[in-house]
Amino acid sequence: MATVTVSARGPTSIGRRIVALIPGLLLLAAVGYAGKLIEHSIAVYTKSHHITFPNIEYVLWAIVIGLLIANTTGVPQVFQPGVATYEFWLKAGIVLLGSRFLLGDVLHLGGISLLLVAVALTLSLTFMHLLGRTFNLKPKLTSLLAIGSAICGVSAIIAAKPSINADDEDASYAIAAILALGAISLFTFPLIGHSLHLSDKAYGLWAGLAVDNTAEATAAGALYSDAAGKVAVLAKTTRNALIGFVVLAYAIYWSSRGEAQVIGNKAAFLWRKFPKFVLGFLLISLLATLGFFTKPQLTSLANLSRWAFLLTFAGVGLRTNLRELGKQGWRPFAVGAIGEVFIALVTLGLVYGADRFLHL
Amino acid sequence: MPKANSAAPARSISLDVYAVSLALLLALLVRLNLIPPVKW
Repeated sequence: MATVTVSARGPTSIGRRIVALIPGLLLLAAVGYAGKLIEHSIAVYTKSHHITFPNIEYVLWAIVIGLLIANTTGVPQVFQPGVATYEFWLKAGIVLLGSRFLLGDVLHLGGISLLLVAVALTLSLTFMHLLGRTFNLKPKLTSLLAIGSAICGVSAIIAAKPSINADDEDASYAIAAILALGAISLFTFPLIGHSLHLSDKAYGLWAGLAVDNTAEATAAGALYSDAAGKVAVLAKTTRNALIGFVVLAYAIYWSSRGEAQVIGNKAAFLWRKFPKFVLGFLLISLLATLGFFTKPQLTSLANLSRWAFLLTFAGVGLRTNLRELGKQGWRPFAVGAIGEVFIALVTLGLVYGADRFLHL
Repeated sequence: MPKANSAAPARSISLDVYAVSLALLLALLVRLNLIPPVKW
């Protein structure tokens, strides 16, 4: 996810910024709620008419409505600041989702995820560099694609760009490729999961390990089932936690070649790149485990998390402009696509193994 | 000669911090029963 920074400025400036967010926030809410209404209406209609019809989650409807708007009329400028807040809601939703996990489950599944992430990370970084060399991509573009596909999509690319002194064009190519592939995975992962009859836990773990962007990983999990969505977020959060280490390793590599700044204080660098929402997630999970909340309060927190994700899923569709994604060169996309298929297969194998030997 | 990486601008706050703050505030309001039960 993107690490957007908000500068502290004068009160007038902050007030204006908040007002500027309102139209886009209303659009996110309208699109997300429309998705929920469609899901509900179809369920009521098919039940009352005794029609057997698969339940299509609001997640898919919200994304499809958003995609239709973004790729037909486009999202007018006045809505864009508010639409861009979808990542904010994603992070707030993840923290609140901590209430649905006992800390023991977090440590168990998070530990398994960490183990699988380490294996997948090593294999995918190596494979992406081989691919980049084969397709004759610029080395820094390859680094960005490798970081984006191995760790955390767009935010990892944004975190790495200044650290390895990559240029804007490389970063835009890498981001476009990761976003395009994320959009494709939204529709393919649930289909593959169902055809392989994966359990909720196995599928959620797979989506969290293989889908790059946190918003898409969350959506891909939720499209399968509520339980799979939960596990996908946990696995993806574990992956996100490693972002600083990978970016640091690349920064050290490029600075050793004199092509990036030398990292002074490595601990401070790691802390700066560390996604803080992971700590919020763990804190809420700890509080839930210690019995700080009553059962009805836990239900409220889980529902707040769902509302936050509803805004996120609407934003995923609204910010995906297929024409813009198509404008990138074919080679970064090809490297990304081949790399993604490789990562998806490797992680699927790992998840199968973990399901069998580590008892998910 | 490459220069040392300077610290992040002192006056910039990460989006994560705002998101975590909002989530913790909501959790506190729920805990203190200051907002009605949230339905889905």
